[in-house]
Amino acid sequence: MGEAVEQEVGYAMTIRAIRALIALLLPPACREEVLGDLQERNATSGGFCIDAMRTVPHVIASRIRRTADPQLLLMHAIALYLCYYAAGWFMDRALLRETWGLARPAIPALLVLLVLLLEDAYSKPGPRSRLQLARGPLIAFGFVFLAQSLPSRIVLVGSALSLPLTLALRLLFSPQSTSRQGPV
Amino acid sequence: MAKPDSLGQFEQLVLTAILTRGDDAYGVSIHSKVEELARPKAVSLGAVYVTLDRLEDKGLVKSWLSDPTPERGGRAKRCYRLEGLGERALEESAVTAKRVWDGIAQVWGKEWVKQWSKRWVTQ
Repeated sequence: MGEAVEQEVGYAMTIRAIRALIALLLPPACREEVLGDLQERNATSGGFCIDAMRTVPHVIASRIRRTADPQLLLMHAIALYLCYYAAGWFMDRALLRETWGLARPAIPALLVLLVLLLEDAYSKPGPRSRLQLARGPLIAFGFVFLAQSLPSRIVLVGSALSLPLTLALRLLFSPQSTSRQGPV
Repeated sequence: MAKPDSLGQFEQLVLTAILTRGDDAYGVSIHSKVEELARPKAVSLGAVYVTLDRLEDKGLVKSWLSDPTPERGGRAKRCYRLEGLGERALEESAVTAKRVWDGIAQVWGKEWVKQWSKRWVTQ
């Protein structure tokens, strides 16, 4: 009897954790309505989870499409690559002459772009302050340091060069924010 | 007056669903209507969300959040309605579909069209 109750409590906690994870995965701009729709469509928790697994990737992809600006991304990509390439050129030229040496500065650049894409997709709709716009690049460069895709000193110099550029690009060409509306 | 873009088939289905649902057009109700219109094909809820977002970006539909309801776990609905541009785009698509229908009927004959209609409408 006690075991059955324990199992039930464990199951309920797991379901609650999965639901919380699904809510976390959904971008805030569409979290409310998507969770509500999933709740309305599914009477059982299992159905809710399966439906969510099918739906959430579409919602994330759509949100990324809406918030990403291809021109701004291209400007970021060029600026980031050139900064890490320049850092490599001044700090360790031999590294760039290795096989795939020219591709190595692209790894931190791509990592920063990915974090910026996700940061924009997961930001709340509406105008953002300068501090909020700066949060993405700061997190991204944190990831670049952790990834260790290039020697630390090159990453340090490359990031020092590219951080002001990335911040300037984001402040000058503020990422798109769709005009999702509140209750009427 | 802005000229609407031509619509894809799925966009036509979603716009038709919004039109027919009227004031009750939100994610779940739009999805169920699109499934009805697209049968026998299955339609995922995710695909409907993606299309709704795209239509909103094109300025064909407008969305807003309604009040939360208990059957949705206290969550609000995102309701949709057609904008003028969306209505015109749907009208253009319907006219084109009618022309396609008439063209087929002209070549394959009215008897075939009758049989075809019976077969697909009853499915």
